[in-house]
Amino acid sequence: MRSYLGDLRTAFAHVFAHAGYIALASTVALATFLFAVWFPNFALMGDVFRTPGVALIAKLQIALSLLGGIVTNFNPLSAGYTIAIAVLFGINAAMIVYLLKQNRAMAAGQNFAIGSGGLASGTLGIGCAACGSLVLSTVLSSFGAAGALALLPLQGEEFGILGAALLLVSVSLMSKRIAAPISCEPSPARAKQRESAIASRRDRC
Amino acid sequence: MKPETQNKLTVTVVIAAVVIAAAALVIALRMSYPPDEARVVQLIEQRLAKAESSEATPGLNEAQVIQLIEERLPAATAGPVGKGISEARVNKLIEERLAAQKGALSEKEFNERVERGVIAFIEKQRRAEQERPNQLARNVPRPGKSDHTYGNPDAPVTLIEYSDFECPFCKRFHGSVKQVIDESKGRVNWVYRHFPIEQLHPVKARKEAVAAECAGELGGNDAFWKFADRFFELTPSNNRTDIDTVLPQIAREIGLNEKQFASCLASGRHDQRIDKDIRDANASGANGTPWSVIVSKGGKTYALSGAQPQAAIRQLTGLALQEK
Repeated sequence: MRSYLGDLRTAFAHVFAHAGYIALASTVALATFLFAVWFPNFALMGDVFRTPGVALIAKLQIALSLLGGIVTNFNPLSAGYTIAIAVLFGINAAMIVYLLKQNRAMAAGQNFAIGSGGLASGTLGIGCAACGSLVLSTVLSSFGAAGALALLPLQGEEFGILGAALLLVSVSLMSKRIAAPISCEPSPARAKQRESAIASRRDRC
Repeated sequence: MKPETQNKLTVTVVIAAVVIAAAALVIALRMSYPPDEARVVQLIEQRLAKAESSEATPGLNEAQVIQLIEERLPAATAGPVGKGISEARVNKLIEERLAAQKGALSEKEFNERVERGVIAFIEKQRRAEQERPNQLARNVPRPGKSDHTYGNPDAPVTLIEYSDFECPFCKRFHGSVKQVIDESKGRVNWVYRHFPIEQLHPVKARKEAVAAECAGELGGNDAFWKFADRFFELTPSNNRTDIDTVLPQIAREIGLNEKQFASCLASGRHDQRIDKDIRDANASGANGTPWSVIVSKGGKTYALSGAQPQAAIRQLTGLALQEK
């Protein structure tokens, strides 16, 4: 646990020492948060912004007032994981770009997969789970299984929690990679071979 | 297990999860937006394959068939919004084209027309998809005499809410809307309709909706609203309400005849009304509760999903008030 926290601290010090990565993480986190909160009312917003003869400021006020939905349209648990997903996804994105810039594409690719899994799972948890999770209820009802939601202990919010957990795993794995010094390391099997070769040479002496 | 194998396994599981989640999302979006363009194209391809194998219609190509669909699509989709284009209709259109096809145009001319047609067809489908949620909201039945209305019945703007008595967010939204209506000085009213989500709140949500209707039947519009206010005040939501205690208690408190109330509850005479409300909610695009449609004097609709804050309700009703 201590080593994980140590890696996390080191990785954050490396990545977020640059203002560009802070800006990237903040932008991605904000975009994810806005997406989650506005998601149920995208059509309404489109309609409001297309309405002629209304001042742009009034239209923006409607968009902003809908952000209050994080308090009224989410319960504490769903609001918590929605914010966590947004923040973790922002951090994830900044770390992936950092790894890519260091030509560590393999590590970045693997963690991008985990991060995307987290985001996809989190998306399934969006909405008023108690009254019909937006995406999940549509998916399940298309299979004629809307009642399946009621069978889940948290009625669909499990996906949001899983999403946050996957993103956390991804951040943790990337921190480990970032904290490790960039060097060419032999595979464990080769290292063992090398050690035994040295030992046998010593025996001969 | 070796760490390398473990890593590979983790990555495989995660990739599988991503693929499943993405597929689920795609299915959800596809199910949400008929008419299904892919299905139409698939039908065209099937018919085309059949046509190509037939000697009766030599020279027919896919582009020609697609242009037919584009030419005739406005008529085919002119029906009620959300119904989509039926397979039978697509087949009929293609059959008509097959019969009429005589190769009157040159290949170049034909291809140009086809290209324009396909672009127009795709653009039209895209626009329809973007506008669909609010188009569906236009299907919402306008307030009538059988509705339960709070506030000035002649107000220029109406907020029609589809609600579930066991939904905790409806409980929260109830207080917000009430305050906005009270502050509107008679310019906005509120119509309450039922959308009990029986998969999540079995038995109770529907019975509570029936109880509210019984309150309205026995005590009029005021009794309906007193029942709804008191119910949301007393109950914990999420199917945890002890309906056998709470329903008679509220009936007593608001001055209804308990025997008549119990008899009304058992009669089942409001079931049809609730079923109609559920059908109307679905037809207007509701996926969950609370689902509201704000209707302006001129008939313009704004569909609002979820328990949004008072400020948003106020802004939207204000926008609807500006509509002529």
